[in-house]
Amino acid sequence: MKIKKGEVHGLLGENGAGKSTLMHILYGLLSKDSGSGSIKINGEIASLESPQDAIALGVGMVHQHFKLIPPLSVTENVILGSEPVKFEKISLISRALRLLKLLLPIDINGAAKKISQIAKENGLDINPHAKIIDLPVGLQQRVEIIKTLYREAEILILDEPTSVLTPQEVDELFVTLQKFKESGRTIILITHKLREPMLLCDRISVLRDGELVGTVDRKDTSPEELAKMMVGRPVVFELEKIESEIGETVLSLEDVVVEDNRDLEKVKGITLNVRAGEILGIAGVQGNGQTELVEAIAGLRKLKSGKISVNGFDITGGSARFVRSKGVSHIPEDRHKRGLVLGFSIKENLSLGQHHTSPFATGPKDALLDLYEMATRSEVLVDQYSIKIQNIEAAVSTLSGGNQQKIVVARELAAFPKLILAAQPTRGLDVGATEYIRRVLLQRKAEGAAILLISAELDEIRNLSDRIAVIYDGRIVTMKTPDETTPEELGLFMAGHTDVSMEV
Amino acid sequence: MQGIDAQLFGVLIAQTLKMATPLILAALGGMFSEKSGVVNIGLEGMMLVGAFSAAVATYFTNNPWFGLLVGMLGGAALALLHAIVCVKFKGDHIVSGTGIILLGAGITTIGLDLVWGNTGQSDQVTLLPNVNIPQLEGIPVIGSIFGTLSPIIYLMFGIVIVCWYVLYRTPIGLRIRAAGEDPSTLDTAGINVENIRILAVILSGVLAGLAGAYLSISFEAAFSRGMTSGRGFIALAAMIFGNWTPVGCLIAGLFFGFLASLEIVLQVVLGVGIVTQYGHFIQMIPFVLVIVAIAGIRKSVPPKGIAVPYEKEKRA
Amino acid sequence: MNTSEINVKPKFNLIKFIKSIPKSIMATIDNPTFQRQAIATVGSIVLAMLIAAIVMLMVGYNAGLGFIALIRSSIVQWDRVLFYATPLIFTGLSVALAFRCGLFNIGPEGQVYVGALAATIVGFSVSLPFGIHPIVCLLIGAFVGFLWGFLPGLLKAYRGAHEVVTTMMLSYTAILLTEWLIKNPYDDPTNDNLVQTISILPTAELPKIFGIFLSWALIVAMLVVLCVYFLLNKTVLGYEMRAVGMNLEAAESAGINSKRTVAVSLGLAGALAGMGGAAEILGYHHRFRKDWSVGLGWDGITVAVLGYSNPFGVLFAAIFFGALRVGGNSMQLIAGIPAEMVVLIQGLIVMFVAAPRVISWLQEKGTLELKMISIDKKRGMPHFITLGITLVCSILGFILLSSISVHSPILGGIVILSSLIAIAAFIMLFMQSESGFKLTIAAGIGWAIVALLGIIYAVNILIIGTVFAAILLVFPLLSLLVIDDKKLENGGNE
Repeated sequence: MKIKKGEVHGLLGENGAGKSTLMHILYGLLSKDSGSGSIKINGEIASLESPQDAIALGVGMVHQHFKLIPPLSVTENVILGSEPVKFEKISLISRALRLLKLLLPIDINGAAKKISQIAKENGLDINPHAKIIDLPVGLQQRVEIIKTLYREAEILILDEPTSVLTPQEVDELFVTLQKFKESGRTIILITHKLREPMLLCDRISVLRDGELVGTVDRKDTSPEELAKMMVGRPVVFELEKIESEIGETVLSLEDVVVEDNRDLEKVKGITLNVRAGEILGIAGVQGNGQTELVEAIAGLRKLKSGKISVNGFDITGGSARFVRSKGVSHIPEDRHKRGLVLGFSIKENLSLGQHHTSPFATGPKDALLDLYEMATRSEVLVDQYSIKIQNIEAAVSTLSGGNQQKIVVARELAAFPKLILAAQPTRGLDVGATEYIRRVLLQRKAEGAAILLISAELDEIRNLSDRIAVIYDGRIVTMKTPDETTPEELGLFMAGHTDVSMEV
Repeated sequence: MQGIDAQLFGVLIAQTLKMATPLILAALGGMFSEKSGVVNIGLEGMMLVGAFSAAVATYFTNNPWFGLLVGMLGGAALALLHAIVCVKFKGDHIVSGTGIILLGAGITTIGLDLVWGNTGQSDQVTLLPNVNIPQLEGIPVIGSIFGTLSPIIYLMFGIVIVCWYVLYRTPIGLRIRAAGEDPSTLDTAGINVENIRILAVILSGVLAGLAGAYLSISFEAAFSRGMTSGRGFIALAAMIFGNWTPVGCLIAGLFFGFLASLEIVLQVVLGVGIVTQYGHFIQMIPFVLVIVAIAGIRKSVPPKGIAVPYEKEKRA
Repeated sequence: MNTSEINVKPKFNLIKFIKSIPKSIMATIDNPTFQRQAIATVGSIVLAMLIAAIVMLMVGYNAGLGFIALIRSSIVQWDRVLFYATPLIFTGLSVALAFRCGLFNIGPEGQVYVGALAATIVGFSVSLPFGIHPIVCLLIGAFVGFLWGFLPGLLKAYRGAHEVVTTMMLSYTAILLTEWLIKNPYDDPTNDNLVQTISILPTAELPKIFGIFLSWALIVAMLVVLCVYFLLNKTVLGYEMRAVGMNLEAAESAGINSKRTVAVSLGLAGALAGMGGAAEILGYHHRFRKDWSVGLGWDGITVAVLGYSNPFGVLFAAIFFGALRVGGNSMQLIAGIPAEMVVLIQGLIVMFVAAPRVISWLQEKGTLELKMISIDKKRGMPHFITLGITLVCSILGFILLSSISVHSPILGGIVILSSLIAIAAFIMLFMQSESGFKLTIAAGIGWAIVALLGIIYAVNILIIGTVFAAILLVFPLLSLLVIDDKKLENGGNE
């Protein structure tokens, strides 16, 4: 693969195609198999044993999952690993004293000054003394970018940078990237979305299954063609929506206010309802209160005020178990954190949540586990969802991401819930698993379940939902059906522009 | 009455400092290790080894300062074992810590038998000379505190300041904190996480060894079997109580030291009789107070990446 | 398939359960995780014993006699072994249960004390028929122990108070409290010298099974092992405890009340320890005496660790520790080796258990060494010989240390230094590091200095020093000549 100096080069591919892996090798975080080809930077063969080698050669990387340390400040995060110190001259006297540099005081103010300067020059204003944990996600990404500029990177690798940005912030990023281009920097943009390369890149390379499918100029291609290259077959963009009868209101939220862990209001008064047989999709950039809203409905977080009811039952402030007993299921947005107990077997994970009642529990007061039942039902579910496993007693950690998510979905839907809370249900999954889960959700909708769908993927929301609500800064700023709106308009709402008459 | 009260107050403070010093030093050691992400419950073992090696070295060379140095090295050696097991071999931190305590107890008692024959106590060793400030001895309160104190107590205060400086103002301290909070970020920055953690654990051994050495060549004048008597664990509690910060360790350590000295002082104040009768309850007060305090204050927050061995992916 | 439609609920069947036990045992043995752990444990024990033997040789103890005494006594005095093991089973289970829920119960000692005292008091204050009396005492002991664990559990669950601190503090409190109680209200008036209570009534005693030590307490302990196994694997509570221990947030998402689970877990852990204390009194001591048990709580942690927090693992670990204790006493009596050597062995075992990778690493390097000999004799043999030499010289150096340093402590210091360098050389050679040969030479130089000084002090030293120096210098130098100095790439090092 060849990348020209001063261009914005897109690296496109599905999850697992090898884009991140390839770039991690370029950045020295992973080693390529010895003897397998070479990497040349500016014409010279590059030896990339560690990130420090890469940095020395002018390579910088902005990671998808930010490599930031929340309790530390912006400055501390930026300088980590190349900390400037006062009285540096002492350590330069002799090689033996070089280690002494680690014990000299850090020149925090000097570093902060330099960071502010770099930030200003590149249009990335930031407060160098702010703590990362206090910064919103968009600003955190700026810190990641500043990290590379601080080390004078000429080649910038951006790994899925837009996954946490609104369409407007993507525009701002575009402006920043243009500035980089003008100063002669080269940018490699890793993404699996189709819109970004068309907007931002000069040329695009598509990877599939670890191989380069081809490199095209932006003007010579289209999202459809790129998708075909990515997947190897024409991709169905829209699933067939099954028509279903919409019934009574199942979930009702009245002026719900929820605080986050630091007692800041994250949900600032939401009123909405979801009816049987309908999917209500909540679109929005992560961090606008969706997480807290779902947690509140599921009984995992206390409300500050407001009321939640399911099928007429008031579940405000109820425990997770109580909420579940009213027919609510929750597909959590982070399957490793909330969805699965990795140390448990597949069988045990499939029983999680229902384990305390029959049929999984038995004996006096349902205190004992009915292992036979657990095993039987697990086998059925595994079969039903086509999850390829060897043995239900195997640890769930041995499964792939897609299969793990299938376990979570299988389990949550097994009790035929009346209300399904699906938070980012297809995040990080390959196309096959994604299609499967979306189909299952549509099927349940047809069978009369009410589904509240939270997703950062606008396409997913538009394809699956009967109604779309946009959440911004803890409030629902609009509610439309998919036919009544366009992605661009939704994007504006997602960025907080409530006046639709603004020019798109 | 005035004079006695003042005198007593001075004695109380002096005693507090004497009891608190080993706790604070060991707690600081534990802090460094845990800040870098390695749980260290083996402080007790490292202290014992420090105490023993200091006593042995002082006994043979008659030089307590040399003994102090050897004590620190002894603690560091045992800590090195913990570091290798936990960091290089990705071992379970708590299990390894348990082993360290057992090894410490075993090695020192056998060593005691080898060097001095019996399995109880070593012969007398030269004490570290106390810092005498004759000018202060006359003054009522301050005199009884500072008139004559072990140099290690003064050293301890300096060490607290140095620890604070190193942890919060130097590159190495920043890297240690990063290693404990998010090792993958530190790794991406090009720093070897394992080396940082090993260094931090060895440092904890040095400080714990110093605490132990204080016990055998300054607090007492000999090494006796199991002489740390659980101080290593109390230091752990102090570290947790102090929320893994240098100043926190200092305050918590002083608090525990104060409570330990309270009993002695109360004996004088209330009379030996009452104290014998209710002595047990008086002794219980410190422990109960700690429980109340820790239940009352905010949640103890350890470093985020603690106890998780960091596996670096090297192959694509 | 609609799960809520099925209405035939299979009832819990005791017969089926008992029949399934052999199947469970077979399944356990087949389980690769179990196999790995078992091999790791056995390997740890063997290695630990080996190192202990070497240490004993180095410091001049009679290792052979010691080990024979150790092994022999643990077989012959099997009743004592089981007697010592009994309380360890209880405290081991206590710590293990807490571990499974992600909690560190560092205070079983205190829980043992309060449980024991409570049982003792019930043992002599009320009169109940034989058979019922001990059971009541055991249950009271468990109950008081439960309270002692439940409090830290509550504080952890609802106040976030770290259980290491609270259980430790309560443990010290318990020891003090019980001491005061047996000094004042419950003091034995007939005996002023010892601080103890009066004896429990004969109806409360657990009858002996064999000899003067072993009592029904062991049977109770083994029943409790089964109970804990049942709790963890076959009950909803056990399932929830394990879930909370492995992933608190996922457990909460699934509706598990983690706060309640945490509190109950620590409570149950306390109950186990409390019952253990009760059993000890009822079975052997028959009265509560000051300092009747030392280090029981701490040993419990070691037993739990060695048993991988698994009830049956704890059982075996406890018996093993009982054997070590008996063996240690015997070792001291017969071979004059301090009983603490057993503590050293325990420490070594635990260290190896902590890092199973050490064993696989040792195995890897060891087989590599042997492979080298067969693949490349030119390099392999000298390397292997040098390896052996460094090991032997370092051991011999320590053995001869005492006789050499009689002349001068400086000589002793140099011998220590040389032997330590030889050990380092051994390690480096074992790791196939280039510095191994250089370190061997350094050790040789050290012994050469000893030889030189021997001219001043004594002829034996001159001879010893020269021999050692010769061996340590000649072989590596020869080896380096035989082997090409160029660094081997893929053939030698991995």
